[in-house]
Amino acid sequence: MWKAVMGFIAGIALLGIVGFNTAGSFMMVEHESPFGIEETAARIQANIQRMGHRGWTLSGLRDPSKAVANSGRNVPPVLLVEACSTDYSGVLLADDQARILSIMMPCTITVYKKDDGKTYIGTMNSALMGRLFGKKVAAVMNEVAKDQAEFLKFDPNQPAPPLIKVKPGGGGAGGPEVSGC
Amino acid sequence: MFTIDRVIAPVLGIAFALALAVSSPVIATATPLAEAEKGAVAEIEQAIEGAVVKVAGEDEKAAAESIQSVPAPKQVAVEEPVEEKSKSTADHSKFEELDIDFKSGPQVTKACLKCHTEAAKQIHKTKHWSWEYINPDTGQKLGKKHVINNFCTSVKSNNTFCSACHIGYGWADDSFDFTAEANVDCLVCHDTTGTYKKLPGLSGHPNYETIEWPPHSGKFRPPTDLKQVAQNVGPTSRKTCGTCHFYGGGGDAVKHGDLDSSLTNPGRYLDVHMDSKGLNFTCSTCHVTDEHEVSGSRYGPTAADEKGVLVPGSQDPRNPTTCVACHGNTPHPDKAAKLNDHTRKLACQTCHIPAYARSTLQTKMSWDWSTAGKLDEQGHRIQLKNSAGKVVYDSKKGNFTYDRYVVPEYQWFNGKVNYTLFGDKVSEDSVVKINEFQGDADDPEARIWPVRVFRGKQMYDKGLQTLAVLHTAGKDDAAFWGNYDWDKAMEVGMRTAGSEYSGELGFVSTEMSWPITHMVSPKEDALACESCHTDGGRLAGIDGIYLPARDRMPLLDMIGFGVALLALIGVLIHGGIRVILAKRED
Repeated sequence: MWKAVMGFIAGIALLGIVGFNTAGSFMMVEHESPFGIEETAARIQANIQRMGHRGWTLSGLRDPSKAVANSGRNVPPVLLVEACSTDYSGVLLADDQARILSIMMPCTITVYKKDDGKTYIGTMNSALMGRLFGKKVAAVMNEVAKDQAEFLKFDPNQPAPPLIKVKPGGGGAGGPEVSGC
Repeated sequence: MFTIDRVIAPVLGIAFALALAVSSPVIATATPLAEAEKGAVAEIEQAIEGAVVKVAGEDEKAAAESIQSVPAPKQVAVEEPVEEKSKSTADHSKFEELDIDFKSGPQVTKACLKCHTEAAKQIHKTKHWSWEYINPDTGQKLGKKHVINNFCTSVKSNNTFCSACHIGYGWADDSFDFTAEANVDCLVCHDTTGTYKKLPGLSGHPNYETIEWPPHSGKFRPPTDLKQVAQNVGPTSRKTCGTCHFYGGGGDAVKHGDLDSSLTNPGRYLDVHMDSKGLNFTCSTCHVTDEHEVSGSRYGPTAADEKGVLVPGSQDPRNPTTCVACHGNTPHPDKAAKLNDHTRKLACQTCHIPAYARSTLQTKMSWDWSTAGKLDEQGHRIQLKNSAGKVVYDSKKGNFTYDRYVVPEYQWFNGKVNYTLFGDKVSEDSVVKINEFQGDADDPEARIWPVRVFRGKQMYDKGLQTLAVLHTAGKDDAAFWGNYDWDKAMEVGMRTAGSEYSGELGFVSTEMSWPITHMVSPKEDALACESCHTDGGRLAGIDGIYLPARDRMPLLDMIGFGVALLALIGVLIHGGIRVILAKRED
């Protein structure tokens, strides 16, 4: 019998180790971009604006690498494109159980360079993340994931749009370019 | 075989853990912090506070230029750059000779030469003056006066604009007097006021009258206060050298990639030597100057220096601008002695400049002249911008591409460079190397260098099969930037260069190489071993050497895999025998 118990525990431990070591790669998704940093971010912003009919607005554009560089340390460029849709955030924020998920708002897409000189886009695996928080959140995050996939569809035949320098923390009343959640 | 204890129990365990994970709330319920945890939180809060204060202390202008960064608390005072007091024994504002309302640059020079009697004679011998360099190895006549590059292409026929970066006054055409001492411009290098500017189109003069600048902008630049500038001269600085060298090729960060206005006041990470709050090197700290001749030139570069440290003040004619001149050939400490072996094959810059254009400024990566000349329906000039606001199409110049934080290309380089000059045969069938770095793995003088390769498409005379000289800028009716007439501009340009335009314009693809040597990172940001010692790493294209982890020796691989396979077989046999014996005992 003790062998069965030990096997049971070993199974739990094995799963824990595997899960601990691989969960991160499931939660975040990385894509290579054919464009430079600014153009990639600007094209994502333009796509987000095109999804305005689903409540999406730009919430901010941050450059954390600049702040780090100013302090004398070296990081390759990073731009954080922030967006929010009240269609989705409204559902989550209205629910006492889900409101704590506001910690993940606004939705952030990161654009960065790596040591190979190429530009990459990082997104959260919203659909998978949503599944961890129950049916209601899963349904909302599934829709977010679909929209997020649209944000990353680029048409190279379209000219590069200008990068919109959105101030973070827009309150929703400042027009389509500055509002957020 | 499939007993409950060996198989089913672990599977049940995994299933149980999965079920528990799925059904449990991911969000932890609020629990009071233990004392130890509170301490840890306080430490983190302090660390964050410290980081925010550091951010707040940075240069306001840089912060304003950046896209939204971490907001800093307003009550923290912004550090103002400390202005260094001059240590000179002469206060030029007290000189009677300079207490004059100067009407022109040459008038200032005459006043300077009353005391600095030999200065103009020295300048006349320099490349900054002649824009000419005879390569002792190849005999090629180089320098700005002769080279055709793949940026603005050629100085010839465009002097009134290009000579904004000449260390003289009045070089408009071939009649310029290179022997006149008063034509030397002292102020462009020695201005400390930051108000002295030589604008394109004025043949190397600053503006003496109010001028609309940029043209048609509605902004007006008052006349240069020459007296004010002359009374405040001082040593050269990153700013004065940068007036030309940061803006080469027609704008900030365009030409070099590792030289741009971000180096006027750089942080440590951008350039560990020029760090304005650290070592604060000026250009002349490395580019040691002797009788106004500035050392270190891309026309006669030093790729490797076996002799090591160059003692300051020595009469050794070696190039003092190399890394080796200060750091020697074994710069790494004993604990990292293996790195010193690398100096036999690698330039220091290869590891210590992991990328160029590392500020927020984008550098130009390519220039396609073949698309220039398109106008809108009203016949007006077109300008299109990219996402960062940089012009990617201009009717005057064609198409551009940009990038920042650019990983260099790598080449063997022994310091010798061959140029394709005016008159050399070129064709559309192959990429024309404007300059070609020499050297290979067997050359003891060669090292692997980081290189910026600027790619372009530019004019050539199809009939003569030579790179073309285009008359781009000027107030006459033949200048391309005024009339967009290729043939007219080619006729004047080619004639000025000493040839007759065949009437057949073509475009050739070109490459121009620039050794990367500025924007030196702090040692902690140098390339790691795996940047090169890996498949597809940075040195993937370098041949002639065996690079562990990049290269493979089939025999060695076979032996290694063979040993591993034999070991595995041994383990299986051993384990199998033990299992069988154990069953027999049962």
